[in-house]
Amino acid sequence: MGSPMEMNGGSVIAMTGKDCVAIASDLRLGQQAVGLSADFEKVFPINNQLYVGLPGFATDTYTLREHLRFRVNMYRMKEEREITPKTFAHLLSSTLYEKRFGPYFIEPVIAGIPAPSAIDPDPKPFICNMDTIGCITTPKDFVVAGTATDKLYGVAEGLWEPDLEPEDLFETISQTLLAAVDRDCISGWGAVVHVITKDKIITRHLKGRMD
Amino acid sequence: MEAISMAGTVLAILSKEGVVMVAEKKVTGKLLDLSLTSSGGEGLEAWTGGGAEKIFLLNNNILAGVAGITSDANSLVNYARTAAQKHLFSYDEEIPVEMLAQRLCDLKQGYTQYGGLRPFGVSLLYIGHDPIHGFQLYHSDPSGNYSGWKATCIGANNSNAQSLLKQDYKDEITLEEAKALALKIMSKTMDSTKLGSEKLEFATMTLDPATQLPLAKIFRSAELDELLRKYELGGTSDSEVGVGQGTGGGSGGDTSISVST
Amino acid sequence: MTECSFGITGKDFVLLASDQSAGRSIIKMKSDENKIRQLSPSLCMAYGGEPGDTENFVDFVERNLRLYQIRHNIELAPAPASAYIRRILAEAIRSRRPYVVSLLLGGYDKIKDESHLYWMDPYGTKVKVPYTANGLGIYVALSTMDKYWYPDITREEAGQLLKRCIDEVKLRLAYQFSFNAVEIDKDGVREYKLDGSA
Repeated sequence: MGSPMEMNGGSVIAMTGKDCVAIASDLRLGQQAVGLSADFEKVFPINNQLYVGLPGFATDTYTLREHLRFRVNMYRMKEEREITPKTFAHLLSSTLYEKRFGPYFIEPVIAGIPAPSAIDPDPKPFICNMDTIGCITTPKDFVVAGTATDKLYGVAEGLWEPDLEPEDLFETISQTLLAAVDRDCISGWGAVVHVITKDKIITRHLKGRMD
Repeated sequence: MEAISMAGTVLAILSKEGVVMVAEKKVTGKLLDLSLTSSGGEGLEAWTGGGAEKIFLLNNNILAGVAGITSDANSLVNYARTAAQKHLFSYDEEIPVEMLAQRLCDLKQGYTQYGGLRPFGVSLLYIGHDPIHGFQLYHSDPSGNYSGWKATCIGANNSNAQSLLKQDYKDEITLEEAKALALKIMSKTMDSTKLGSEKLEFATMTLDPATQLPLAKIFRSAELDELLRKYELGGTSDSEVGVGQGTGGGSGGDTSISVST
Repeated sequence: MTECSFGITGKDFVLLASDQSAGRSIIKMKSDENKIRQLSPSLCMAYGGEPGDTENFVDFVERNLRLYQIRHNIELAPAPASAYIRRILAEAIRSRRPYVVSLLLGGYDKIKDESHLYWMDPYGTKVKVPYTANGLGIYVALSTMDKYWYPDITREEAGQLLKRCIDEVKLRLAYQFSFNAVEIDKDGVREYKLDGSA
């Protein structure tokens, strides 16, 4: 058996645009080289303006998703408000660090738009990623994770530009993901893209190469 | 038991298209600051804007109305919400309504059996939906008994309301009729002649027409007033509702802790 | 792991098939062992893995699902049952004694009128699939299923597809398997006759 990080395959990417963010994942789930499913989504909604991608070891994708849903629901009813992307990032980070010496084999990606508040009336789009034990990185442009990480970095570096409108951002993130996963044996088999804007979410499924 | 029979009335009616719940808030006084209390909402919003006093969202598919000692009720609501989330965590499905009622009753029963501890002085009505039994309405009392109903009522004047329900309930009742009936009975059993959102909380559990999933709705003050005006039972116009004006807190100032054990 | 099982769904049924060999390493000690267990009135599991673990695990799951049914008077539908089984595996994998069990879970949801099929590995990876294989079947029969399966497949065609898969196993694998199968639908679980496959 190889490393858990490369056992099931799969990749996630998130990008910022002008008052919008996009997050996308491929849909493959496999057992080493054998593909088992072409509809395994690795990106999950946390609320109407926040998504999290959990690529890596598929059993941990499930476990973490269920764990986070529990924590976020409890947060929502105790605080009587939605969790902000930044708070959620720290919630996830500490959840991962709890398992410091037996980690979840997941490299999460978070994308969201914070709701305007009294302190911050015009919040900026938020993206971040972290390692398996919860060390957060918050770049300005894009974050990538999964088995096609290195390819994603290359293509995103070439295609991304600042202040893209939602439709242009959709095009950019889609082309980046599809181009990158075609060079990765264990990512691909279609993709799903979510573009989050202030007032709505655009979700589209992409057809990709099935090899 | 004393506290429950004095507490604001909670009434619920089952229909084929959904369940209706209405609750009476006891007006505490005009100095109570309610500017920070939440304001109701639908679906996800109902989580963050619950009625906060008499009607609570326990889970996406279950609402509860409480009568009795408010602090005990808060504790039970918290227990129920945690239990519902634990079920979601284990089984990746919303907890069935009866199962949640059962979980709370297991807890409540425990306090009737051992000395040294006081039982929860709370009766609850649960309204909800699950794929197994559809729309449901349950009642549970401090002893840990629970039972399913087509329409029932707890709190002050409940025998009055109960007999009115018996008179006017019919099996084919529609959701709209249930709403009207619930408010009509409430107007008859409450002391005041004119109803308004400062004295009531109102909620429904229906199915979202788009997704066919349970949709909880806790009515905002304006929505409730509109409904009351529609049935000509009162309704406070927006200009009359101000900060701290009459929207009560706690379930009456006279909730003496005197539960028979 | 010398084992092999298949699952095929149609609109209103699921077929589960499993090999019947029991043994260690390359030695076969038995060729009529039933490795499909009925867990509840319309839920079945075809399992494989470390022989001691499998029996213990399947007993544990079966009895806990029964307990749930007795306690709450509700049968656990396939989807929540799969979530429950997955959690047992996922928690065990990080414990001192993991279960080495992989399985196919097939069931019929009588409330939603849907057939369900899940693939699970010992780590607790779960995938909901329309058709799948486990063990050695993965390598020889998945492409056969890709070619012949379609969403409205009838019972007869699903039976023929299962036969094709088993034939492929006989043709391509050095190891000789015998198979048994079950059919799950709204009326429950029945044995499914595989003619000439023994």
